[in-house]
Amino acid sequence: MIEIEALTKVYGTARVRAVDEVSLRVGAGSVFGFLGPNGAGKTTTIKMLAGLLIPTSGRVRLAGFDVARQRSAAMAQLGAVLEGSRNVYWSLSAWQNLMYFGRLKGLRKARVAERAEDLLTDLGLWKRRNDKVGGFSRGMQQKVAIAVALISEPPIVLLDEPTLGLDVEATRTVKQWITEQARELGTTVLLTTHQLDVAQELCDRVAVMRQGRLVADLPTRELLAGFRERDRYEIRVEGAAPPGFDAVTREGVTTMSVRVRDPREVYDVVERLRAQGAVLESLTQVQPDLEDVFLTLVNEPTDA
Amino acid sequence: MHEVLRAEIGKGLRVQLAHPVGHVITLLISTMMYLGLQFVLGQGELRQDVLPQTLVAIGGYWFLQYAGLVMVADLIEERRAGTFAQAQMTTAPPWLPMLGRLITSSVFGLAVAGVAAVVPMLVAGITVPLRWAALLPAVLLGINALAFTFLMAALALVSPMVGALQSLFTSLVLLLNGSFLPLALYPDWLAVAARVLPTTLGVEALAQALFEGRSLARLWSGGTLPWLLAHTLALTVVAGLLFVRNHRRALQEAS
Repeated sequence: MIEIEALTKVYGTARVRAVDEVSLRVGAGSVFGFLGPNGAGKTTTIKMLAGLLIPTSGRVRLAGFDVARQRSAAMAQLGAVLEGSRNVYWSLSAWQNLMYFGRLKGLRKARVAERAEDLLTDLGLWKRRNDKVGGFSRGMQQKVAIAVALISEPPIVLLDEPTLGLDVEATRTVKQWITEQARELGTTVLLTTHQLDVAQELCDRVAVMRQGRLVADLPTRELLAGFRERDRYEIRVEGAAPPGFDAVTREGVTTMSVRVRDPREVYDVVERLRAQGAVLESLTQVQPDLEDVFLTLVNEPTDA
Repeated sequence: MHEVLRAEIGKGLRVQLAHPVGHVITLLISTMMYLGLQFVLGQGELRQDVLPQTLVAIGGYWFLQYAGLVMVADLIEERRAGTFAQAQMTTAPPWLPMLGRLITSSVFGLAVAGVAAVVPMLVAGITVPLRWAALLPAVLLGINALAFTFLMAALALVSPMVGALQSLFTSLVLLLNGSFLPLALYPDWLAVAARVLPTTLGVEALAQALFEGRSLARLWSGGTLPWLLAHTLALTVVAGLLFVRNHRRALQEAS
């Protein structure tokens, strides 16, 4: 479990509040999506969770261990893939990287070797275990980085943009891994990503950060349901677009996107179309996806 | 603790040996530079009266120069790449991986210093008598150089520009620690200034033990050993304090 209490980070003499009184609780075995535009404070928060940055105030506990006061015990609970960095040594082989980082977590050589063999086999890298990571594709390097994060079987894993720059197949492998870790092994996964479809697919709960503050922290379903009042309907009619509607006509079929606040308003729209002689082909409720919700949240005017 | 230290040393050695060209070039330069330098200074001949003493000094210089280079360059590169941050998430205290890095650096420093001293001995027939009394000054000389390396590493935690400062100091050491001329031939004021630099006092104590046959008691009563001890201790304490301060600063200011 990850517990964050009133976490704040203020930078420099300009007193920039990169993270401002953020409080979160991520339950064991869940996949938590930490979203926000660039500069929202996600990476700063991740670094404070990983003990790489000292908070100005507030507290972080990993599986009950305070990162500031019980650093060694807290680090034993954690594996991480950091964004925009190599995470592993390119001049070392996959095997050497895993052996090194496993032992840095205080594990015995024999135990790390067992675990490294399992991970490299699962990732399909066993045959190339002695090759230098620098010669691997981006996807394979990311797999090694994820294996490094998991080498000590930590109960908590932080993944900062784990699928960034990966091709479709590598992305799918990483997504499968994240799901397996949480569902089958009970690992708590906190991930940040700009790929909102990935977040929607994987995360049980999502928090959205904006200008250092949390603007949402809800189970993914609840978050999406909260935006239902802005539901859209897609209506298709045969032939040309009827007057008074914004529509696109392609190959004899006109598609209209209609926003309603109350589902009963849909009857009025259909009635107007019928009155104009339009022949209804289909009517579909368009559910808001995480991208819609995210864009709404980050573009809302601020109080400040 | 031991597992972490062993892992750090093993990783450091493997990373360094993955790119051997730089080390080979340094070894070649180190073997050629000293004799070339002495040949020029001796106006076309190798002066046997100064060779043994300056050889000890050039060994000290190479140890300081190369251990420092390996340590600081490695640290800066890892900070830039991101592997340093990943390695910081260890269960060990932060000084332990740094100690591992220091040991790795000293292995490469020793290798270069060894070759830089042994090859001229063979080529120019320089004889260096081995005496037990020289062991302590030699160890202190090594610690002295490593304390300076640790100091530079502590600076590298917060400033990637530390390379310039390191170059300045190592150049001064090369000029003044006795690699060109024995310290006894310097004017007094220059000898005093030179003794402030790392390795100079160690080279002086080592030379006195090796070539003048002084015992440890004489080195102590003569003042060379106490000064070397004090200098090494001061350098180590300053480096340690700076590391603690800069490590904390790096954790406060990382962006």
